[in-house]
Amino acid sequence: MRETIAKDALGAFLGTLVAVAVYSVAGAAAPALLVLFNAFTVVVLYFSVRRGEVFGAILGTMCGLVQDAFSLGVFGVAGLTKTLLGFWTGYVSRRIDVAPFTRNALFMMVMSVLEMILWVLLTAAVRLESVNFHGGLMLLQPVVTAVLGSSLFAIERWIRSRKSRGS
Amino acid sequence: MPLWERRRSALVLAGLTVFHILLISIQVPRGAGKSLFERAVFFVFSPVQRAATGTVRGIGSLWNGYFDLRGVRAENQKLKKEIFFLNQDVRFLEDRLALDGSEAELRASLAEFRGSLVAARVIGVDSANPYQTIIIDKGSLDGIGRDMPVCDRDGSLVGRTIRPISLKESMVQLITDKDSSVSVKSVISGLTGAMTGRSTDVCELRYVLASAQGGQAEEELKTTGFDKIYPPGIRVGVIKKVEKDETSPIFLRITAKPYFRFDRIDVVAVLTKGPGGGG
Repeated sequence: MRETIAKDALGAFLGTLVAVAVYSVAGAAAPALLVLFNAFTVVVLYFSVRRGEVFGAILGTMCGLVQDAFSLGVFGVAGLTKTLLGFWTGYVSRRIDVAPFTRNALFMMVMSVLEMILWVLLTAAVRLESVNFHGGLMLLQPVVTAVLGSSLFAIERWIRSRKSRGS
Repeated sequence: MPLWERRRSALVLAGLTVFHILLISIQVPRGAGKSLFERAVFFVFSPVQRAATGTVRGIGSLWNGYFDLRGVRAENQKLKKEIFFLNQDVRFLEDRLALDGSEAELRASLAEFRGSLVAARVIGVDSANPYQTIIIDKGSLDGIGRDMPVCDRDGSLVGRTIRPISLKESMVQLITDKDSSVSVKSVISGLTGAMTGRSTDVCELRYVLASAQGGQAEEELKTTGFDKIYPPGIRVGVIKKVEKDETSPIFLRITAKPYFRFDRIDVVAVLTKGPGGGG
């Protein structure tokens, strides 16, 4: 049991490193990209579907806290929303079939929208202020995040099918 | 089967949720202070950010450096660096001259200014809102402390260093952040006020009395030094619009546009000596 938790924690840590790398590269390329998609959410969604709710919750905690550390917001808000995102993404994806691309994208979009709503509400409650939506550009974030997350699965499937054809 | 086995998922979720709620609750009454835990997370993950950005930049420069003219490129980089520091010197001298100081004062402040600049690369922007903070690749080992003014390559004000400050990375609060405030004065009509951000690309000039005369579009704003963080005379931005505030008859509603632009803040200069420069 302890071995599994340690393995999950290590995997989550590596997943967080991947998220930080993606976020850094996107920010260095164009800061506006960070409004359009959330690298941490993409990583949490992808690994939660693959590894289940417990891993998703641990990864969500790590990614969320790192996101908070790189921002001026209250430390823990993104941590909480991403923990819930990781858990429920992993939980629901074990109970419904989210393998087809369209269904996968739709599922990820719904989860991203719910996460964003929770984040906006928590930010408003904790900091007593409204969130800047960057002229509505931020509302595209769940769509872009979902497309990117689903594309990762599509690429993974494509690589697997090529490998199996090769062997 | 023990309870942990049966309810593993629910217990993990409950534990993590309680942890976060406690974490948020501890901070809320304290305001924006950075906890030790938050600083530790920044300390651990900011080198990753630095490595990722450095790798991408490294690959790009390897491509250019290896396949391009290597000698010319090296010289070009050296000249760019020199221009960067000369630009800062020129801006500083211009700003000081504009304050009508004596020659002796000017020489003294230039001597003080020289060697107090640290050039830094921007390695990240705020994960929640790009207009709040940036992260630079210089930290306490390079002499960076809290409340040090940060300028872009043209000498225009970008913001100030804030905690967390790691060994080789620091966070910079931009003047566009809504919690930021800079004491500024317009160069023609002398309107003095506090320039605060809106966490967008424009700022507001607050606390200018409605009875104040002057203030026109495109009039330049410079720091006054009253806030004891930014030295006087640094270029900040321009006035965009002056209008009467219907909600407050006492003050004017003035919109201002900062000079710095995101596409030009890949390199910044930190003024390590000055009124802010705390530890």
